[in-house]
Amino acid sequence: MEPHRDEPVIICRGLRKAYGSVVALDHLDLEVPPGAIGLLGPNGAGKSTLIKLLLGLIRPTEGEASVLGFDTARDGIQVRQRTGYMPESDCLPGDVTAADFVGHMAQMSGLPARAARLRAAEVLYHCGVDEERYRLIREFSTGMKQRVKLAQAIVHDPDLVFLDEPTNGMDPQGREEMLELINRIHREIGITVLLSSHLLDDVERVCDYVLLVAQGRLVQHGPVRELIAGAGDILVEVDGDAARFREALVARGATVTASDGMLAVKHTDDLVFDVIRDTAADLDVALRGLRIQSRSLEDVYVQQVLAVNGGSDGVERAG
Amino acid sequence: MSSVPGEAGAAQSGARYGEVFDRGYQHYEGRREGRAHAVRALTLYSVRGALGIKKRWTAKIIPIFIYAASFLPVAVIIGIRAFVGPVAEGFNYSSLYVALSPLLLILAAAAAPEMLCDDRRENVLPLYFSRAITRGDYLLAKIAALGILLGSIAILPPLLLFIGNTLLAESPLGYLRDQPDEVGRILATGTLLSIFYAAIGLVIASFTARKGVAAAIYIGFITIETAIVEALANAITASWRDFLDLISLGNVPDRIINWVFGGTSAVGAPPVGAPLQGWLYLFVVAGVAVICGVVMYQRYLAEE
Repeated sequence: MEPHRDEPVIICRGLRKAYGSVVALDHLDLEVPPGAIGLLGPNGAGKSTLIKLLLGLIRPTEGEASVLGFDTARDGIQVRQRTGYMPESDCLPGDVTAADFVGHMAQMSGLPARAARLRAAEVLYHCGVDEERYRLIREFSTGMKQRVKLAQAIVHDPDLVFLDEPTNGMDPQGREEMLELINRIHREIGITVLLSSHLLDDVERVCDYVLLVAQGRLVQHGPVRELIAGAGDILVEVDGDAARFREALVARGATVTASDGMLAVKHTDDLVFDVIRDTAADLDVALRGLRIQSRSLEDVYVQQVLAVNGGSDGVERAG
Repeated sequence: MSSVPGEAGAAQSGARYGEVFDRGYQHYEGRREGRAHAVRALTLYSVRGALGIKKRWTAKIIPIFIYAASFLPVAVIIGIRAFVGPVAEGFNYSSLYVALSPLLLILAAAAAPEMLCDDRRENVLPLYFSRAITRGDYLLAKIAALGILLGSIAILPPLLLFIGNTLLAESPLGYLRDQPDEVGRILATGTLLSIFYAAIGLVIASFTARKGVAAAIYIGFITIETAIVEALANAITASWRDFLDLISLGNVPDRIINWVFGGTSAVGAPPVGAPLQGWLYLFVVAGVAVICGVVMYQRYLAEE
């Protein structure tokens, strides 16, 4: 079943998961569109728990979730028929060849034996494991194992694939190739990707929609473009007495800081632009530059997660 | 990732030089089977794994030894009887099963951990559980796989003996008339022994990720438990002491064999338990299977 392009692929309503007194996920409400979705958060934020809930592998303590239109608690089998999963941890048997194992996983997803073998060879090829597929998995490097893990996740041609820290333990070149591969899966092959990571750069490069979670709570979500664009400070460059201009802005209620020789005015709402214009006119100061400061995903992340974590962002910057 | 195979390969296959092969990703449009197919696939995969097929040679040693030790004596006896005449008259189904019991124990001790421990140690379980199967399906496949393996030892050699006896009889049809329920007895005994050994082997293997530990615990548990129960039974004089034999796990296969094929055990009359009816051991096997099944299911239900 190919989901309609506009329909949410994932819906959560008051989703909560607690292990005794430890709350792993706390009342998640969200609707996620198809595409490449980043699930971003520090270690222990609840990302893996959310994936297991969405796969129907564990039951929520409260609330409900649906994936591709199927209730995850009630229709786990149907969810898993249409989804793929690449776990974070090492999960490959060492004593079999990649071709055998991925073919076996294709059969486990319902493909007949012959089709499974052909499909395994084809998908391994697309994942960059060609002739090596006849080697035992234990002889593979970390990068090759990650490719095999990815191949088993998409061998049955799912509509949605969950990738949990897919670049974990990879060297820079391997990481580049893996991100390129994930991009292809989404953009060329058309499989919706939910990429769980604590690496901001991975998410920023691959995803067009982001879910930010921290301490089990959804702290921000939305299209990446909107998140990094909308709410940055307004950078103002004036020709004239900048100090006086700043005082006047503050007197009119604006929050202003100095930033690289310019004034950074907090973008509370669009009326701030009127305040800046009127103040410049009143003080006879020429406005030389006026633009919204672009934010990186990291800025958004740090701002949101710091607020929840009380100081520690728990994130790793790649590169 | 190149999308063009090597020119040498193209030349070998007779393709036009410079021809571009489209190996673009194709969506799978073929047939998709259900859970039963997945269970079958996992069963066969587990059987192959336990037999060491497509694995290094050390993984094949125990299966080869067990199969050789199971089939060779039967084949040799039949061969000698065919060429020399009636020999080893005492070699009947009952004595064959008594000889097969320790082999079944060894095979279960080796194969049950092979089927469950590797999946846990190598963390493959999340991959299986992310497929369209339930945890019950996973266990069903593993039980079926071990059942097939043990059944091939517990049923095929006696069947081979039966076929040999039939063909070597003066009148094969007359032999079949005289032994109408022999095949049924073989199937029943083989099935019960397979269930018994598989259930205990799998439940022990489900608690550890280390194959050697699971195998040692399995053999140690049956041996020590049997010794303790026998010692207890011999130490007391109460009338109910015979019933202790029902929980003497090492003796259960022997009692089943005696019950199905009649007579006393080839290894001697049991010190206790002799007065008990054979069908009681049927309940023991059923009880062991149910308890082990429930424990295993609970164990895997908790698995994430």
